[in-house]
Amino acid sequence: MKVSLNGEAIETDAPNLQALLLARGYELQGAFACAVNKTFVPRPKWPAHTLNSGDRIDIVTPITGG
Amino acid sequence: MDTPTTSSPIAHGQPWTVAGTTISSRFFLGTSHYPSPQVMSDAVRASGTEVLTVGLRRLQPESGGGNSFWQRIQALGCHILPNTAGCHSAEEAITLAQMAREIFGTTWIKLEVVGDDYTLQPDTHGTVHAATVLAKEGFAVFAYTTDDLVIAQRLRDAGCAAVMPWAAPIGTGRGPLNPFALETMRRRLPDTVLVVDAGLGRPSHAAAVMELGFDAVLLNTAVAQAGDPVRMARAFADGVAAGRAAYESTPMPERAAAQASTPTVGVPFWHAP
Repeated sequence: MKVSLNGEAIETDAPNLQALLLARGYELQGAFACAVNKTFVPRPKWPAHTLNSGDRIDIVTPITGG
Repeated sequence: MDTPTTSSPIAHGQPWTVAGTTISSRFFLGTSHYPSPQVMSDAVRASGTEVLTVGLRRLQPESGGGNSFWQRIQALGCHILPNTAGCHSAEEAITLAQMAREIFGTTWIKLEVVGDDYTLQPDTHGTVHAATVLAKEGFAVFAYTTDDLVIAQRLRDAGCAAVMPWAAPIGTGRGPLNPFALETMRRRLPDTVLVVDAGLGRPSHAAAVMELGFDAVLLNTAVAQAGDPVRMARAFADGVAAGRAAYESTPMPERAAAQASTPTVGVPFWHAP
């Protein structure tokens, strides 16, 4: 299925959010948080959060800021 | 050129409380635009700040999950105030605040909802809506807003931990463009934590708004883009402290006419005709 990951269209067969993160090389203990379709998905819910075609996934991490 | 340093303590004055946390410094500092990470760390230490603002942006897969910036910030030992910079709607800001809470382990959030990309003027309606939702979710909302008094009142009523009017648009360094509006806000919201956020360029600007009775200032570019950010950080710290001390000391009232400082009794060379 096609999803958008951080604005980039990708093909994936990952059934859930955690599987997608692992498949894309994210270190699960890293300092980042996830949202799917602009809705926050808490870390404990990553394994159970089913992905659907067309989902828009955002993964954010700390940067400098004012 | 060697940077002259000073070891004299910053005259913070009495501790104060914001969002249930007691701190000494009234100077919040941003972490962007420094010449290098080391200069940022040095400037933070020189400023004496206890509150640092940080942002959130997309993490690319090749970065894995490590974050050297975050590790550097943690080492500074300050309270973290994550922002929602770049969000253009209340919905986006609420989601990013929830993400920030998980990453940073804090309920503090600097709420920013951009209304105009050219001026970075906040969408005050979206800000009030997001603040209302986030406060109900238990966030300590530090709401970035304009100097509009009624919006500030709405943000107070929404339960914000701090209302943060701009002095001028972000990054302009122009100083308080409407001191009257800021002074009025202070008088009308005497029990609300008010922090001037954005638009300050010089320590005298910081001192000026602190003399009006604002609880603190938040700035970034004026330090980070200075020729010597570390010295400028200390200069701002001294400006903030001086302004607060002046406010607590009750400045003299202005007068229309001159009044001699030296006593007039006993002035020489005067003789009855």
